[in-house]
Amino acid sequence: MSQQQNQSQEGSQTSDSNEIPIYTLYKEGYDEVYQVEGQLTGYWEGLLQNLSSLGIENLSQRYNKAQRILRNDGVTYKPYDESKNRSWKLDPVPLVLDSQTWESIESGLLQRAELFDVLLKDIYGRQELIRQGVIPPEAVFSNPGFLRPCFGSVAIAEQGLLLCAVDMLRTPDHHVTIIGDRTQSPSGAGNALENRTVINRVFPSLFRDTQVRRLTVFFQSMRHRLNQLSPTGELPNIVVLTPGSRSESYFEHAYLANYLGYSLVQGRDLTVRNGRVWTKSLGGLTRVDVILRRVDDFFCDPAELKSDSYLGVPGLLEVVRSKKVAVANPIGSAALESAVYLKYIDNISQFFTGKTLSLPTAKTYWAYDKQDMEFILDNIHRLVIKPSFKSRDTYSVLGHRLKSKQLDELRKKILANPLRIVAQEFITPGFSPTWEDNQLVPRPSVLRSFAVVGDSFYTVMPGGLTCTGQSDDASIINHHIAGLSKDTWVLTEEPEQQFSPASDKHDVAHLIQEQLPTLPSRVVENMFWLGRYAVRAEFALRLLRTVFLQLNHSQQFSEEGKKTLLIAVTKVTETFPGFTQSDSVLLSNPETELMSVILDEKRAGSLMYSLNELLECAEEVKPLMSADTQRVVNDIRDEVKVLGNALKYDFASAPEEALDPLVTSLLTFSGLVHESMIRGYGWRFIEIGRNLERSYQTMLLIRALITPVQKEFDKDIILETLLLTLEALITYRRRFRARTDVVSGLVLTIMDDSNPRSLHYLLQELQKHIEKLPVPNAGPLLTPERRTIIGLLHKIQLSDLHGLCVPNKENQRNKLDELMEQSQDLINELSGLLSDRYFDHMESYQQIQKKQWEEEL
Amino acid sequence: MKYRIRHITHYDYDQVVNACYNRAHLLPRETAFQSTSVPQVIIFPIPSTGSRRVDYFGNREYHFAIHEPHKELSIEVITDVNLSGTRIDPVGQLQYGNTCQQVKELLNSQYLDVETLYAREFLLDSPMIKSTDNLLAYAEECFSDSKPLLSAVRDLTNKIYTTFEYDPSFTTIMTPLDEVLKYKRGVCQDFAHLAIGCLRALGYPARYISGYLETLPPPGEKKLVGVDASHAWFSVYSPGEGWFEFDPTNDTIPVGQHIVTAWGRDYSDVSPLRGVILGGGVSQSLSVSVDVARLTES
Repeated sequence: MSQQQNQSQEGSQTSDSNEIPIYTLYKEGYDEVYQVEGQLTGYWEGLLQNLSSLGIENLSQRYNKAQRILRNDGVTYKPYDESKNRSWKLDPVPLVLDSQTWESIESGLLQRAELFDVLLKDIYGRQELIRQGVIPPEAVFSNPGFLRPCFGSVAIAEQGLLLCAVDMLRTPDHHVTIIGDRTQSPSGAGNALENRTVINRVFPSLFRDTQVRRLTVFFQSMRHRLNQLSPTGELPNIVVLTPGSRSESYFEHAYLANYLGYSLVQGRDLTVRNGRVWTKSLGGLTRVDVILRRVDDFFCDPAELKSDSYLGVPGLLEVVRSKKVAVANPIGSAALESAVYLKYIDNISQFFTGKTLSLPTAKTYWAYDKQDMEFILDNIHRLVIKPSFKSRDTYSVLGHRLKSKQLDELRKKILANPLRIVAQEFITPGFSPTWEDNQLVPRPSVLRSFAVVGDSFYTVMPGGLTCTGQSDDASIINHHIAGLSKDTWVLTEEPEQQFSPASDKHDVAHLIQEQLPTLPSRVVENMFWLGRYAVRAEFALRLLRTVFLQLNHSQQFSEEGKKTLLIAVTKVTETFPGFTQSDSVLLSNPETELMSVILDEKRAGSLMYSLNELLECAEEVKPLMSADTQRVVNDIRDEVKVLGNALKYDFASAPEEALDPLVTSLLTFSGLVHESMIRGYGWRFIEIGRNLERSYQTMLLIRALITPVQKEFDKDIILETLLLTLEALITYRRRFRARTDVVSGLVLTIMDDSNPRSLHYLLQELQKHIEKLPVPNAGPLLTPERRTIIGLLHKIQLSDLHGLCVPNKENQRNKLDELMEQSQDLINELSGLLSDRYFDHMESYQQIQKKQWEEEL
Repeated sequence: MKYRIRHITHYDYDQVVNACYNRAHLLPRETAFQSTSVPQVIIFPIPSTGSRRVDYFGNREYHFAIHEPHKELSIEVITDVNLSGTRIDPVGQLQYGNTCQQVKELLNSQYLDVETLYAREFLLDSPMIKSTDNLLAYAEECFSDSKPLLSAVRDLTNKIYTTFEYDPSFTTIMTPLDEVLKYKRGVCQDFAHLAIGCLRALGYPARYISGYLETLPPPGEKKLVGVDASHAWFSVYSPGEGWFEFDPTNDTIPVGQHIVTAWGRDYSDVSPLRGVILGGGVSQSLSVSVDVARLTES
């Protein structure tokens, strides 16, 4: 339609290499910028001019900056077929909607939200739609999302839908058309807010020239409504229930929890007792009144729904029925997400309200309907074939992409499963300018907007999450695949105060930190392990770095000395058998084994293994980490990814240098924990984990290096390795000059409590922290964990280092070895005691009666 | 006829169970031909919460949770039931009512009464019953367009009774229908599922019924307590005429001796007990004792 606008891009670039070429539409279809053929829409003109005035270089820089912020905030999504998270991308050009357009969208969405609320109540209540023949009974009864245990639920009747989302696009003839509804736990509202925050930071000037409606009112309504849902009438304790860090929208769960000021919990953090729901936390059980649910409803209660689900809370449904907890959206609301309702939605609207919906819905055909079936079979080549009921292994198929043989197969499939298949005409979504390869290109997009109940009416988020295709092929746009989004601007004539959600977010984060005693036990446990794995990884890194150095640079080194070093690697990382299997080939060519100790992520004790565990713990405690800490964790994740390559490249010369960036990141991490974390229980458990692990590792290292008495010329190198790994070499040299004797080394690394890496110091720290932990019903008697740490500390303090260093007949310092071994046992005991008292030991649950049938029908 | 039903379910666990959350379908419901006393429920250990509700299918459901460590769990339900009348003559040839063809037409006509609309739910696949071509092929010969549906279903019941062997050692509640059909063995649940699968494959709504059957001792002997058992059968729907029960395990039409506990799409909707336990170890043993005692009219 606007071919006449089409300029040669090469032509425009030659005039000035930094000039952004004029945006042109080169595809047939609707374009937001050229709504009238060949004419630039007024409100786009200023925005595009503003962006163009930045020039290619500046705009690219800002684009990169935006991606960096998203990555640092941990905004990720996970495609179904991938195991790792990918970062969202944010386009610098927003999708702009003028106030007039928005008004019609907004009123359409309000109407639709009200209707879906009624629809939900009807399906789980009187079922007038079935009784009066508005929809065939199969529309409800063949839907696996229709949960019969939720039928007649008071929660649904009284509470209705808190939140719903609608996906819409612009058809080639300019109409906004709805292509789908999300009703159980719509994702994306948090992403929309994050996008706004980022665009605001990267392009503050754009907002100065344009009046854009704020998103925050939407979240205020949500908060208000959640408070209203309190079953007690008092200010409720509200939690966000997430499936956990492996969920594809975990970022958003954590983000919303932080933004709204609620705790983020998983099913295993909650328990049902005495007819109520509780969080299992460090301070005992804390009552939960309202659950903002992000777990799919079929998974919410293994006692009544999916019996092998570990994401839910056994007994939850019964508490909901007795109105002692409110869950939003109500369990069962996924039933409305079926595409079958799209076929009947106008009839449903007529039936309940006497009106048709003001925003049209994409024409939908259901193969179960005889006429529709005929139509689908005849027109299959130009239809999108979709599952009637979404599930993990269903997907849409585009008829026009298939060859005739494939079409025949598809026809057979449709004929065999008429209930399960719907079809829609393929609609080319509207295009809008998107920054790609240093120019603005037209890309198709779909807008998801959200409605939330406020006091009693729905409120629509002014804007939403715009998902954009990364090629001009309109058929692949689906936010699971694309991962590119836009901020969505709704223009307004009346000035609104600019608002930065970021400041709000931080206030809330502080608030959460102070509430630490109510932290779920799972979070506390992850804090502890976060500390342990950080130190374990750091220790392994330091040791390996030192070993590389010694092996490659020490000239006079006997085979015996070398062997001691390599065996120390195995012993300290506990990657047995490794170098302990007296294998001469292995010892003379240690590279492969050393590489495995570093890189084999499947091998417990390897550096990679510890780092991956560290990253996993960090995901679990994400809502409690500051932005800076999150950034360092991201750095560690990046370095983990490239370590394999870096080592391969460096192995021949100075492989230790490939490890340096990781050491630095881990140190920064410890520094941040030390400097910037609020001194709550979360911090304390990281510190306990760190001190405990460092003590343990030091014991392992001393045993491995110092127990065997070394030959004269190896002695120095081995002692130096110990001191280097424990960061005490410089102090040692300053204090003891050129003397190298083992006893002095041990004085520094075991006894000297002015050395923060000495066992004495570490154990004192550990004792301090343990004494600050809450102990219920504490009497005058010491708790077992206090007794253990005091005993261990005294054992070290009272040890006779000279005596310990006297070797036996086999030339082994067996007394030292025994002391360290006993100390290790005490550390393990201590860890077990702390875990028993403070961490959650969720017993795995099982079905009272085993069964294996598919429950999804 | 009046009965007192006493159903005791007893679990022994290998290791301590710290908590459990359960839903029971053990309380007999009321039907057009069956009235009941309020069922009495005795659970040990004493539950921390317990509540009754009516489920989606109109059955009595009992929910309970226990938070006391236990190695044994017992659930006892006592209900007095009064049976009166039946919809069909159990010994006749059933040569009346809608023909098979009429039933199919009525099910798909444009304007349906509410009962028929709701009966269509029982045409669809359910968690444990998927209609297949094999089931269709097995049952086909019993049905023809001009034959009254009830008579055809009676023939199907008889066919199952004569071609299948009652064999409690062969199946568990997890045995798939295909396997039951292949080996022609099973117990009452399997035969009920089988008949329902056949009927749905042919286009007739059918539902699963769980309950009890009074067993009579051989003549001259005294009836022992606890020898009765849970039982399962099915019913089929004919538009305008209602639901009709058949018992393929005994090749009978239930009347006077079949006590209904609950009905649903299949066993999974009405399993006597479902839920989760925390702990309990790997093995558990279950014993069930049912007593269906006639009460003398007074």
